[in-house]
Formats: sequence, structure tokens, C-alpha cells
Amino acid sequence: MLLAKVGLDGHDRGIKIVARGLRDAGYHVIYGGIWQSPDAVAAAAAEEDADWLGLSLLSGAHMTLVPRVIDALRATGNQHTECLVGGIIPKEDTERLRQLGVCGVFGPGTSIAEIVDFLRQRSPQQTETVDLTSGVDSGDRVALPDRVLLGRLLSLIEQGGLSATMLNDLHRQRAGKTTRVMAFTGSAGVGKSSLIANLLPRLVQRDQRVAVLACDPQSPITGGALLGDRVRMSAGSDERVFIRSLAVPSGQQGIAHRLDQMLLVLAHFGFDLVLVESVGVGQGDVAIRQHVDRVYLLLQPESGDAIQWEKAGLLEIADMIVINKCDLPGADRLETELREQVNLPGSRGVPVVRAGQSEPSGWDEIIRDMTGEQ
Amino acid sequence: MATTLHSQTSAPRQQPTTVSGVAVKQVYSDADLSQVDVHQDIGNPGRYPYTRGIHETMYRGRLWTMRQFAGFGTASETNERFRVLLRKGQTGLSTAFDLPTLMALDSDDPKSGGEVGRLGVAIDTMDDMLVLYDGIDLEKISVSMTINAPAAILMAFYLAAAQERGFDVRELRGTIQNDILKEFHAQNEFVFPPEPSVGLVVDLIEYCTDCVPRWNTVSISGYHIREAGSTASQELAFTLADGRHYVEQTLRRGLAIDRFAPRLSFFFNAHNDLLEEVSKYRAARRLWATLMRESFHAQDPASWKLRFHAQTAGCSLYDKQPQVNLIRVAYQAMAAVLGGCQSLHTNCMDETLALPTEHAATLALRTQQVLALETGVTNTVDPLGGSYAIESMTDAMVREARSYFEKIDQAGGMLAAIQTGFFRREIADAAYQYQTAIDRGEKKIVGVTDCVEPDEQPLELHEVDPMAESRQLERLRRVKQQRSRDEVQRSLQAVRDAARCGENVFPALIQAARTRATVGEITAAMAEIFGRQGARQM
Repeated sequence: MLLAKVGLDGHDRGIKIVARGLRDAGYHVIYGGIWQSPDAVAAAAAEEDADWLGLSLLSGAHMTLVPRVIDALRATGNQHTECLVGGIIPKEDTERLRQLGVCGVFGPGTSIAEIVDFLRQRSPQQTETVDLTSGVDSGDRVALPDRVLLGRLLSLIEQGGLSATMLNDLHRQRAGKTTRVMAFTGSAGVGKSSLIANLLPRLVQRDQRVAVLACDPQSPITGGALLGDRVRMSAGSDERVFIRSLAVPSGQQGIAHRLDQMLLVLAHFGFDLVLVESVGVGQGDVAIRQHVDRVYLLLQPESGDAIQWEKAGLLEIADMIVINKCDLPGADRLETELREQVNLPGSRGVPVVRAGQSEPSGWDEIIRDMTGEQ
Repeated sequence: MATTLHSQTSAPRQQPTTVSGVAVKQVYSDADLSQVDVHQDIGNPGRYPYTRGIHETMYRGRLWTMRQFAGFGTASETNERFRVLLRKGQTGLSTAFDLPTLMALDSDDPKSGGEVGRLGVAIDTMDDMLVLYDGIDLEKISVSMTINAPAAILMAFYLAAAQERGFDVRELRGTIQNDILKEFHAQNEFVFPPEPSVGLVVDLIEYCTDCVPRWNTVSISGYHIREAGSTASQELAFTLADGRHYVEQTLRRGLAIDRFAPRLSFFFNAHNDLLEEVSKYRAARRLWATLMRESFHAQDPASWKLRFHAQTAGCSLYDKQPQVNLIRVAYQAMAAVLGGCQSLHTNCMDETLALPTEHAATLALRTQQVLALETGVTNTVDPLGGSYAIESMTDAMVREARSYFEKIDQAGGMLAAIQTGFFRREIADAAYQYQTAIDRGEKKIVGVTDCVEPDEQPLELHEVDPMAESRQLERLRRVKQQRSRDEVQRSLQAVRDAARCGENVFPALIQAARTRATVGEITAAMAEIFGRQGARQM
């Protein structure tokens, strides 16, 4: 379920409640945020392979905006995402929205239970098989129909993995392709998505094609998840950027199921870089190392994190340590501590970089490290 | 079709709670007031700490201002509605702007499509401002403007237009909301990042303190925090914390506290829970007075007095049996008046369906008039003062707010707490808990969860004029044709320069208004220096 607000209206009380309610009912909810353009919503629906797209509008501009979203969805070649609308929708407009292809309209006072009942009665369309050879553009862009295909492929991998034949094909085709994979790890709230959000436009400027896999935790009890990283990252709908949210069950070391298969497929689609944002879980995070070229460990001042990471042996797996939110007090002390730590005799001499609004040069340094620029 | 009406008359099983989920005792007594000093904490009306009201005679001396919020389409249609409201006995104006204007976009911006003149009036240039208040004596009628991110720009338009019409700006009375912090907490109508945004708020305070002395420079707003789903005590605490931040930042500019504090005003929600709301207003006055006198050392009693506008809770209204909203609004208005508000907007019954019709707007105004003229609650000051329940709840509210102030300080102050999402998390948690309580049947809503009617009579609704958008686009095109491009460019450069040097941008804004620069152009000039703030996470 992808939830988003289109247009200028930023009243998000309702959509946030629905997001949490559906998460607690066991759904994987991707929160797309406010002020989304119809094109950005359609691209997100493709990338996330959404069964449902829920739009919330309280501004009365639904008859202008919803048709634009439906058109944008169709333009991407997306046949399977079903559109729902919530908010202040007069009765006569409800009928007109249905005629446009909206499958459900929910007004003020709708309970979460009513929405869940509605969704359960209409299980999403069955996944058809995907032919990997169709539609993959060997050029240098993920064209929009391919965005739908790629989104769908990642879902197939999430749901059960690719066939051995397909994997073999992918392995063969991978030869010669250089997709570099970067992991961003650190505890919850350290600012991993914000950092990536600041890196994306800089990478696009360098004409890099970037895929982001944003992992968020999944509830072990309901199986639901609330994936909120897109909001910070969605850099408009630049065709060079592809963002996918992934729900990670607990006990999986902070990375998604079958990450290696996802990386194969992304390489096949010709991305220059894949940024994997892991769930900040702590000790188990070392597993990410096997899948990626470089590991960026984020720490923030005054959090006591450094000590925890040191205990977990994480300082050892980092290729670069980023002091994020370096505008906060305590950044200097943390930097001193870290430099002492990583420059001990026998250690690898890991670079330490400060990043934050007041030090944009830190972002450039990380980018140079990623792209291998001097 | 048979209607099934049932009402819950048996006692509820769990302990009753307020709308905000705070447990309410079966009975309150003097034992609940052990921590309250009757003279120091409650005192008398018109005396510090003003728990019982800021005026000795309260509504016996003067009624609250009945100030209904209005605006739609182009400036001409809104001007017409203003005149109707004044004819029907309204005593002040309150201006609703459309979403593009609130978001500092011009009507011809591609992002404005479908939103122009829909939820309020479209204002692009100073010319629209001239039409908006045409024929209204701005030295007699006080005008309120609900605008935040581009508040300084709209205020500059207002002043330039008033001067052009020959009014003396020193005589202008009114209020501009100009409260950007609650946009970051709750309403999401921000443009620049928090720090320069607050800088603009202070620019306006500083300029108006000098040149428009009768103007209320900020309307520090809890209303939207509550609408986003906060509890009553969060609304109270976050609003006063915002006020505290504006005071600190204005003091840093070198203004003396007693020069600007008397012109800070507040804006609270009037929700369903009458006792909780009355307690909230009384606690707000006590907290602010103490803060101003004890922490900021204000000497002038005018600096200690918390003056507030109230609006009934939009979020409490439903589209089922919409006429029932009339009744909700009446009780909420009663709470605001028993709490001692200085001005009041009562929502219309069709609020959840569309912009109000003239019929609905008239009934909303009549609700206030009945309250003022027929109920007798205006005859005595703070009639609920001294009630064990009210005084105990007021005191609890004060303590709750103080503990929130400490949490904000621990988070590193206002801006740090915004960055870490503290306010948004608190509000979203409360909103979700409230919804869950409704879904579980613990909180009841007439016409929605109980007393449901299968067949409802639909209301007549306000029709949005489909041509308003194109009329506004035509107006804007004409203004752009007639103005001097060079003058506009020069005035925008002056705005950039002022912003770059960290000067007060207000004089440059007034000049830009006169050249007929648009809201969007001026905003873009400032954004080159200040940057823009993107959407924030949940």
C-alpha cells in the first residue's frame, strides 16, 4: 500500500493514521509524503510495485488532481495498481471518481476497520510471470515501463526468489557490468535517509544512475511495516533515480531477504550505483559486508553510539565513518574519539567525515569515495 | 427503511477520560486543590497571573469580537462576502487565503492548478489586496490575515495598499498569524527552513513594533496543532513553547520585552470537552503571565496578559447528519467564552463538505450572538472559577505544560526538537490513540458510531465558481503586462540583498509590493538566499 498526498494541501493527520492503522493490520505501508506531483506518485507506484495507491485530499482539488494521477499511472504502463481516495469528497464526485477508475472512496469518519475490510474483500491481482528479456532497455535509462517491470521483479524476489534459469542468465549478463554497491548503516534516527537524500541530487548531477534500497523493520507480530524513507529521498521523478522500500523481518541482520538477487537484477538494469540503507539494528549489521563494495557507518554526536558500535565490532567493518548531523553539539569530541579509535596501531586507518547542513563538503567527500573520483 | 436509534445510557465500563484521554474523577473536592494557592495561582480577574481573565469586567465591559473566517475565489468575491458579514453584525474581518497563496505560489504556477481561489482568496500582487478590502474603513475595522510562510510579503502588500488608499498605517488594527513554528509541527505550510523562517517572523515583529504599533504581530497558534490530533495539554505546551521561542529570538534582535510583548496574541482550538477546554485557557493565561514576568522580566502588565482568539474544532465535525455540527459548534463556542476568549470564530455546519454557504455562515454567526445576548454567561466573569474540578484540571494542565517545556529544553531547544521530529511524533501518537479509541468504541460520536441515521437529507452546498481560477489568471496577466519589468527586477534584487546581509527584509518587501512583484517572485528571491525546506518524514 503506497500512501501519498498530491497537490499543495499538507493536512496529513488522516493519512498518517491510516498508515499506522494499516501497518497494525499487517500491511506493508509505504508513506510517500505530502506535496507529491502526479508523476512522482506514478513513478513511486511503479518502483514500489504497489497493489494499492491511497491518495488523501482535503483541499477540494480532487477532481483536478486525481485524474492527473490516473493518467500518470496509465502512462507508466502500470496496469495493476488500484487507486483509492480518502478525504473530503462530496457524494456526486465519488461517483465521478469511480467512473475514472478509482476503486474506493473514503470520507471523514471512516474507521480503519472499514478500510481493512474493503481491502480484504478485494485481494490484489495475481502476479503474472515476468519475462526478463522484454522491455529492458539496453540504453542508459530505466525508461518508465521498465520501472514497472523492475518494481515487479523486486517483488518476485521478495516473495520467493527468481528461478535458477533466470539467475544463471543474470549472472552471465552481469559480466562486464560495473555496478557498485554501497551500504549505509547506523542506529535508528541517525539520519541515513536524510544523508542519502542529500547525496542523490549530487549523484544525478554527475550523471550517475542510482538505485536505492531502503530497508525498514517489519513487525514480528502483525507482519506489518511502515516504510517512511521515501519522503526524505524522493528527488522528484528524475529518471536516473529508482527508490524501493523493503520491509525487513527482525532477526535478519538489517537487510532484506535475497538481497544478492536484487542486486543482480539492478546490475542487469544498468545502474551505476546501488545504495542500500540497512535497518539500524546494531550488532548483526556486519552481514551487510558480504553483499557490498563499501560500508558507510553513520554516527551522531551525543548519542553514545560510538561505544556501542565499537563493542559490536562495527567500527572494523566500516570503510568510512560519517559523523552525521555534525551541527549538533558534541561533534568535535566524537570526532576526536573516533580518530583515536581508528588510528590505533594495527587498525585500518578508516577515514572519518563530518556531514550536515553546515558542512556540505562532507557530502562531496562521500560521493568522491563512492564514485572513486580523486 | 426503519431507522434504528439507540443511545448508550448505561454507565460506561472503563473510567471516563477527557477527549485528550486524561482520566476524570467522579468527584473533585478541596483535597484536589492541595497544591493550589487560591490567591497566588487563581487570584482575581484583571490581576496577575490572570487565571480568571485579563479584564476586570470581562464581557460586561466589552463582548468578544465575532470574527468569522472568510475567503474564496478572487478578491472581488471575497470583498463582497466581507461586506455581507459586516452588514449582519460581524465586528471584525478574518481573511482565508487559498492554498497557492499560503504556499507562496502564484496563481499561474503549474503547481497551483485546481487550487486557485478554492479554499480561500487568491492573492498574487498588491492590486489584489486593494480590491480585497475595497470600501472597508481600515482605521475602523480590524482585519485578521491567516497567512504564515509568506506572512511578511502579504503584510507588506496590506500596508502598501492601505497607504495607497490614504490610511495612516499607525492607526491600522488587526492580526497576522505569522506563526511558522506550528507549520513545522503540524500544518505543513512552510517554504523556507526553520531558522530563516523564524527570522522572517521576527522581521515582521520588529517592523510593526516601530511602524504599525496597533497591529498584533503574531498569532501564536495551537489551533492547528490540535487539529493535527494533539491532546489539549500538548496544544497548550507546544503553543507557549513557540511563543517563548519568538520572544527569545526578538530579544536577540535587541528589542526590549515591553515594546513588543503586548502585541503578541494567541490562537487556540475550542474542542468538545468543555471542562478540559476551559481549564486549558485558564492554564494558558497563568503560564504565560508567569513566563513573561518571572523568566523574561517584563514590567508592563500588558506584556503579561495572554490575549487569545478561539476557533471551534474543525476536526470534531462530521459529514454524517451535518446539521448536528451546529450543536457541537455551539457547545465549543460556550467553552471558549467560559474560558475568556477575546475573539471567536464559530465553524459552519457544512465545513466537512465544502466552503460554507451564506446560510451556514449566518447560522454560525447567530450561534455567537445567541451566546452573547441570551445565555447570560457574559454577566459574570469566569463563572467556573473556584470549581474544584476546573481548578484542579487547570493546575494539572499547568504542570503538564511545564514538563513539556523541560522535554523541549532537554531535546536541545525548539529548532533541535523540530529537527528530531519530537513534536510531530508526539502529535501523531496522540492522533492515532484517539482514532483507536473511536475504532474500539471507547469514544462515541453521534451520527457516526452511535445514533446513526440511514437516510440523510443532504445539505445545499457552496458551489466553487469554476471560472474563478481563469479570472484570477487573467487579472495576474494584466498586472504583469502593466508593471515595469525593470522596477520589479530592481526591487527583487533589493530583497535578495537585504536577505543576504541579514537585514530586516521588510522595507524591501514594501518596495517590491509597490512595483507589483508577485508573492511567488518575492518568495523565489528570498529562497535563493534562505533555501527551501522539503517535505518532512512522518
